[in-house]
Amino acid sequence: MKIKIEHLTKRFGNFTAVDDFSTTFEDGELIALLGPSGCGKSTMLNMLSGILPVTEGKIYFDDDDVTDVSPDKRGVGLVFQNYALYPHMTVLQNICFPLEIQKMPKEERIAKAKEMAKLVHVDEFLDRKPGQLSGGQQQRVAIARALVKKPRLLLLDEPLSNLDARLRLEMREEIRRIQQETGITTVFVTHDQEEAMSISDHIVLMKLGVKQQYAEPQELYNDPANNFVADFLGNPPINKIFGVAKGGNFELEDGSASFPFELCSKVAEGTKVTLGIRAESAYPVATAEEAAFVGEVSSTYAMGKEELGYIKIGNQEFRAYIASELGYKKGDAINVGFKDRGVFLFVTETGERVR
Amino acid sequence: METNEKVSLLTRIKRNVTLGKVLTYVFLAIGALVMVWPFYWMISSAFKTQLEIVSFPPAFVPNSWAYLENFKIAFVKAPFAKYFFNSIVVTIACVACTTFTTILASFAFSRLNFKGRDLIFSLLLSFMMVPFEMVAMTNTTTITQFGLNNSLLGLIVPFTTSIYYTFILRNFFVSIPDSLYYSARIDGASNWQYLWKIMVPIAKPSLFTIILLNALTCWNSFFWPRIIITSAENRTLPFGLYAFMSEGGTEYGPYMAAATIVVVPMIALFLVARKYIVNGVARGGLKG
Repeated sequence: MKIKIEHLTKRFGNFTAVDDFSTTFEDGELIALLGPSGCGKSTMLNMLSGILPVTEGKIYFDDDDVTDVSPDKRGVGLVFQNYALYPHMTVLQNICFPLEIQKMPKEERIAKAKEMAKLVHVDEFLDRKPGQLSGGQQQRVAIARALVKKPRLLLLDEPLSNLDARLRLEMREEIRRIQQETGITTVFVTHDQEEAMSISDHIVLMKLGVKQQYAEPQELYNDPANNFVADFLGNPPINKIFGVAKGGNFELEDGSASFPFELCSKVAEGTKVTLGIRAESAYPVATAEEAAFVGEVSSTYAMGKEELGYIKIGNQEFRAYIASELGYKKGDAINVGFKDRGVFLFVTETGERVR
Repeated sequence: METNEKVSLLTRIKRNVTLGKVLTYVFLAIGALVMVWPFYWMISSAFKTQLEIVSFPPAFVPNSWAYLENFKIAFVKAPFAKYFFNSIVVTIACVACTTFTTILASFAFSRLNFKGRDLIFSLLLSFMMVPFEMVAMTNTTTITQFGLNNSLLGLIVPFTTSIYYTFILRNFFVSIPDSLYYSARIDGASNWQYLWKIMVPIAKPSLFTIILLNALTCWNSFFWPRIIITSAENRTLPFGLYAFMSEGGTEYGPYMAAATIVVVPMIALFLVARKYIVNGVARGGLKG
């Protein structure tokens, strides 16, 4: 099912949790709502499920306006962060519950529930109570319960945050597998960039209730819309060098170094700008002519075939990968070249990307 | 080796048995005796002959536990079977109605959002401070106007709701996480279905406690029946027992037998329900 969100806004008193959010999620995709805590991603999810009424804007499931439809009539499945299994019911009863409410005949709903339990691999635990299951198993049961009524949309709220590291990797793959097997449009909330990058088709990155960028994971990394997006994604985090655009040159804030940088001519003279460089996008070149600038190696850390080096330019430092056989040592001068990818210029004040 | 271990075990036991602990247990034992003794004396006396009861030194154990003459006398002299029946009817009706209204009210005060909810709730709580003796006057007028005095219905109607139990159950309902509610709503359940299929089963331990306490209060109720009931056939057990004592002779045996009849059902109820209260406490299914 396609989901269209138009100018969605949610205010709690004076606080705006989601601000004028518009986007379209395509049918059958796995979408990640990504952002730091307090960015409004869970609020978004709750509005999609119908738990939270919206302040302004519209939500469409395909062509139906569901903005004012109550949660029980939206046909969505929701898995809560704490799974919210009914503690007094067995696994089978839990999965059957949505069908029981629909008054489906008993044999039929048990058959369907068992089928769903098989899909999420909890068919061995049907007679157990939730309290007797591990976190990962509880989560699978919660997913089965959300899926059993064949919802048009599956929503997952921080589905992996309560699991330990190994299980988290495993369940990540599981969610992807289940989503692909059922082909159901799925939206999940996470604050973990790696989780979002690894399994989703598209990512919505949010900050303080405002959509920053909606793109495929790799595009988000390769072509960030602004400083925040570039900053949020990537490990090690993107390097930032602060400076001023001066006559087509990038000049460090304190004027301790300056080098030509083409994008600097696209902003007004004297604008404060930030140069964002991914660690893998700066590399040593042989001659000063090929180099973007000349820096000084301030420290290196062996990491096998490569070394992670700190390079100093003026009085600012940044990280770059340097091939170990080049044998750079602390204090050496180094010619630094930029790759085409992974080097961005932002206006410091607004965070807006200069293209 | 073995002896060594035994020795160390012995010393360990000795070390653990401190004077403080001994005193604690002695004190607890005395407390238990003080609590249990009157009950034992009542029940055992019910099986004693008049001679045994007045004998000195007192007989601690009746001659025969099969001596049922006292019970026979009690049942012949006063309609205890009828009292018993009345008590059962009133208790069951009161408990059933109170439990039902308590569940609904607790749900409303914990889950539904309506204007003035918290204000109404605190007003209700403040009504708990009003002593029953005061309410009894207005209740008597009301019940008389309804034409219900000297009837079992008159014993039931004023006791179909309870602020106190609503308070207890509401607090439990509040502790049930919101996510269960939203989850059930998304699963398609209405408020009504959520209440009866999710909340009530989870609240079983609290409900059993409420039912038990309520049953006890209804069963032992004395003051209200004394006001409302005027004819012998509508008396409940405690009132019946009181009447029996003031109308009957001086033989203690039948009194004790009658008192036993009043008390034993509640003790039995407690012993049965205790298991549910303890078992029901097991919870789970929520993480985080």
